Amino acid sequence: MSDEVNTARLVVQVDRDLAGIVPTYLENRRKDVVLITDMLERGEFDAARVLGHRMKGSGAGYGFADISSIGARMEQAARETSQAELAACVAELTAYLDRLDIVYA
Amino acid sequence: MAMPPVDHILIVDDDPDIIDLVRRFFEKNGLKVSAATDGKGLWAVLHHGTVDLIVLDLMLPDEDGLVLCRTLRASSSVPIIILSSRGEEVDRIIGLEMGADDYLPKPFHPRELLARVRSVLRRTRPHPSSDLPGKGEEDVVYHFAGWTLDAPTRQLYSPQSEKVFLSGSEFALLRIFLDCPNQVLSREQLLDYSYNKEGETYDRTIDMQVSRLRKRLREDPKTPELIKTVRGLGYVLSARVEKSGAHP
Repeated sequence: MSDEVNTARLVVQVDRDLAGIVPTYLENRRKDVVLITDMLERGEFDAARVLGHRMKGSGAGYGFADISSIGARMEQAARETSQAELAACVAELTAYLDRLDIVYA
Repeated sequence: MAMPPVDHILIVDDDPDIIDLVRRFFEKNGLKVSAATDGKGLWAVLHHGTVDLIVLDLMLPDEDGLVLCRTLRASSSVPIIILSSRGEEVDRIIGLEMGADDYLPKPFHPRELLARVRSVLRRTRPHPSSDLPGKGEEDVVYHFAGWTLDAPTRQLYSPQSEKVFLSGSEFALLRIFLDCPNQVLSREQLLDYSYNKEGETYDRTIDMQVSRLRKRLREDPKTPELIKTVRGLGYVLSARVEKSGAHP
């Protein structure tokens, strides 16, 4: 099993009507990464659950089904106060955001 | 030439990203959008003006969306679409029971939400030039079993002359029954007439709306007298219906 990080670019097609708000949406997810990392350190699982819940509800609407999926797992991990799983979700979200290439169509 | 009125939609959600998404998409498609992040904000918007439809999240910081839905429906027929990541079947049924006109689980595509908004607006508005039963009878007042339905104001009066609020969907459904009294109407016919084949068309929706309408008409759900179930066929309004043209 490899521990190598997958750095291949990930092309996601997004509705062109959303072009004006997608950059802000993704910037907010980067802020979430910082926020949830801080929450993890402080053991604030309920606050992390709310952020995961919101990500789950909004991601696919913007065209990012993976964000919804990660958000759902974050919500569940926070509900179970699973620090390791929550940290894994944060890492996955960070990697996902780093690999994103958006095509508006 | 006068411009057609722009539909005004109120989105109530505690997630600013959802509000941005809906606002951007709806405004690009010609709708006016107001937003509130909680129940207090919802009432503030309604206090300052009218809206044509409310998109309502269930999980709000200050109030449960289902309670808000029920409270709204007790005093208003404004169409309501519930938007929630709770999304389970039971929430959808409870939401519709509480008077919502439609339910869309999160995550959602804004195009689907827009289509549902337009569909609900179409079916909850008068249809002056449609091929619905009652065509050309927008001013009619129906009298049945002591009840009165005033079509122009969409107001239902009980035999005790109490006002009974109806949602847009409930009004549309009752009107179909009143235009076809003592005729068995299949679920497909009810869907055709009330949704114009453009809504989410599944039989359970009609069953739930009939159930809600029976409650409005204070029917015993076990032995309804007015809207009867005809097993395997559909529903029938069992009553003599008289129509008059004047407002009571």
